[in-house]
Amino acid sequence: MTPTSDPLVSELARKLVETLGLDMTAESVDPAAPLIGAGLGIDSIDTLELVVMIERDYGVKIDNRAAGVEAFASLGALAAYIRQHRPA
Amino acid sequence: MSQRPRAYVTGIGVVCAGANNVAELRALLAAPKPTFGPSSVFPSKTASAQLPVAEVVGLDDTEPLPRTHRLALQAAREALAGAPPPDAIVLGTTTGGILATEAALQVGVTSPEAYRYHGLDTVARTLAETFDVRGPVITISTACSSAAVAFWVASALLRAGLARRVLAGGADSLCRLTFHGFRQLQLVAPSGTTPLDINRAGMTVGEGAGFLLLEKDPENSPVLAVLAGAGLSCDAFHATSPHPEGAGAVLAMQRALSDADVAPAAIDYINLHGTGTPDNDAAEARAVKQVFGDAVPTLSSTKGLTGHALAASGGIEAVVSVLALTDGLVPANTGLITVDPKLGLDPVSEPRHAEVRAVLSNSFGFGGNNACLVLQGSEHGGRERTQRPDPTIDHPATSVSPAPAALSPLRIAASACLSTRGGLDETWTALVAGEPVAGFVPDASFTKLVPPALLRRLKRLPRMTLALASQVYAASTIGAPPEFIAFGTAWGPLAETQDFLRKLFETDDKFSSPTDFVGSVHNAPAGQIALLLGARAPNLTCSSAERSFEHALLCASLGVAAGAKSALVVAAEAFEARLSPLFDSAVASGPLASDGGAAFLLLPDNHLPGPRIRWLGEFGRGENSVWALAKSPALAVALASCDAIALGLAGETSARQSSVVAELTALLAPHPVVVYRERLGHHASVSATAAALVAHGVVEGFLPLTAEPLPLPRKRVLMLQLGPQTTAFEVFA
Repeated sequence: MTPTSDPLVSELARKLVETLGLDMTAESVDPAAPLIGAGLGIDSIDTLELVVMIERDYGVKIDNRAAGVEAFASLGALAAYIRQHRPA
Repeated sequence: MSQRPRAYVTGIGVVCAGANNVAELRALLAAPKPTFGPSSVFPSKTASAQLPVAEVVGLDDTEPLPRTHRLALQAAREALAGAPPPDAIVLGTTTGGILATEAALQVGVTSPEAYRYHGLDTVARTLAETFDVRGPVITISTACSSAAVAFWVASALLRAGLARRVLAGGADSLCRLTFHGFRQLQLVAPSGTTPLDINRAGMTVGEGAGFLLLEKDPENSPVLAVLAGAGLSCDAFHATSPHPEGAGAVLAMQRALSDADVAPAAIDYINLHGTGTPDNDAAEARAVKQVFGDAVPTLSSTKGLTGHALAASGGIEAVVSVLALTDGLVPANTGLITVDPKLGLDPVSEPRHAEVRAVLSNSFGFGGNNACLVLQGSEHGGRERTQRPDPTIDHPATSVSPAPAALSPLRIAASACLSTRGGLDETWTALVAGEPVAGFVPDASFTKLVPPALLRRLKRLPRMTLALASQVYAASTIGAPPEFIAFGTAWGPLAETQDFLRKLFETDDKFSSPTDFVGSVHNAPAGQIALLLGARAPNLTCSSAERSFEHALLCASLGVAAGAKSALVVAAEAFEARLSPLFDSAVASGPLASDGGAAFLLLPDNHLPGPRIRWLGEFGRGENSVWALAKSPALAVALASCDAIALGLAGETSARQSSVVAELTALLAPHPVVVYRERLGHHASVSATAAALVAHGVVEGFLPLTAEPLPLPRKRVLMLQLGPQTTAFEVFA
């Protein structure tokens, strides 16, 4: 587990757990671990659920496979992706 | 050549984007033209709602009915073309009256009158009333394979001798739920679908209706084609994604070919499901190559022309298939520019003429529900309907009553139910103690039975369904997944529907939950059963108002008649605080409002001791159904040998309970009539719960559904449900 002091990562961890109804605490999500296809049990529909949340809450679209691979590499990668693509 | 009775196609009717009837579809197929554009059916403030759709233009709007109903009426009228009433209707739909419901919900209409056409059953019932159909009126809802599954059911009814003429097909209208649902799943092509293309980017949501009139003995009707076989399967892989190798699709194609008794080499043309999504087309291509090897027939997807009309697509494409056979017209894969080389297919680029003797038509849906059809050219050589009986001449009603006991009883190897008291044991114990069991099922009584990993994705209805299915499967000790799965639900997953629409409206049509959309289709719970049990068997969902359980029982019985060695039947309703009272007046308030359901693991009758269940029939004569019933030879034997009648009340009869029961009691004397809703409460699948309790009762020798327990010395109960359609089945030991 990699502790984080990044407030966006903490916020995303909270939203991840809430949006998907994961049976775990936000603090226990490892910011460096892969989001999809690993221990969290997140599948393609969950991923689309996160895509909707990210567009709604941050105005960032993830609408192709390459963007998805980059954004969902980990929670830290997602935070970086949002910062990079966030509307000014 | 198969010795089985065949289903002859003697009428076809269609409406879809670009074609309001068969003649226009024929012209459209011969000379494709663009049909996609922005929707005028539902307003939207969102730019993304301007994605193109495949909309029907010029639909008759003189009748005050929702759009799906009008689409169905238009195509059904054409298919019947003044012919005498069919004995039965089997209709596939996923949308019902949801387009009107969405509009009413958005502005907060609270009058149930505004929602009277919401139920999926109202589409087929509108047809039944319009065309005076007096036999079974069945609604199938298996997402995008609904119409194709309906053809399987229609064909099975003909083979079993339960009907001689069946109107079958599908209808769906554009609506916000499906359009935005597919959009949120990123499955809608930004500029129109291009199936099989290297740059394909999704589907185009469409609408329409397509029907076949199927006959067993087409004495005076010209035969257009033959529905030679149908095959069903379930992927048991994922809620929305097809199995990557198309394993379920392979099974459905092979089952259809085997059912039609034709070799793959006999197929001249395949009308693909071909939605234009990257995953569907890739999986379907692999499946086709697995079935046909190096000799893949001529093939195309016609969804580049018609769009994907969801539940109607199998009906529209069956009509396309008939036209391929009658006209020798091989449709083009419209929209295709560069075929995706990874698919390894060579789709038809331009419409062309060639002799077509046999067609395979594929339909695949969410929940992994697959259905494939084999249609063959008419052996009678009739190319066109030349003459019809004059509809103004009064014709005698054709076969009204199905033959008595045409379907064998099935042995109930295990049963389960959910009521406010808990499971079957708790419910039975409460009833024996004289306590009523009306009310809502406590979460704890079914949630504990659902695998924990699934809980977070599933709401009330799929949880109940999985709890019921897993209980009877475990108790039955059959040791292998069931060979047929039939689910019944009148209202479907209402919590998912409500949550999806609420989020959509709150964000001005911008955002909603993909999970809720996937969960909102009526067949989602049955798809979850298949996943849980690893069952690739035929898997269908009936949504016929209060007859949903009865129709699931009928379909399972047809499945066993077709060779299934075991069948799982589940029926359930889940109360949703906002929608249930609007849709179903019987659960709007009062002590009878309930939810729950029941499940049965059924086996072919092997004459071992234990309870049996047998479908007897369905009669549609409105006000006169009680009299029709009493006079029916189909019920004479069951009436003569039963201890009692357990009575369910649906629709308007529910409000006239005392007069209906008095009339029936007088008519059926000396048999006692037990109105089970007084003890069990009301929900649309409560007849399933009643059947589970009666199955226990015939073994115990008494039924605790009245003030004094009713003795059952003959161990036989006739179960009737009165309503706009009256159904009958019996439970005995």
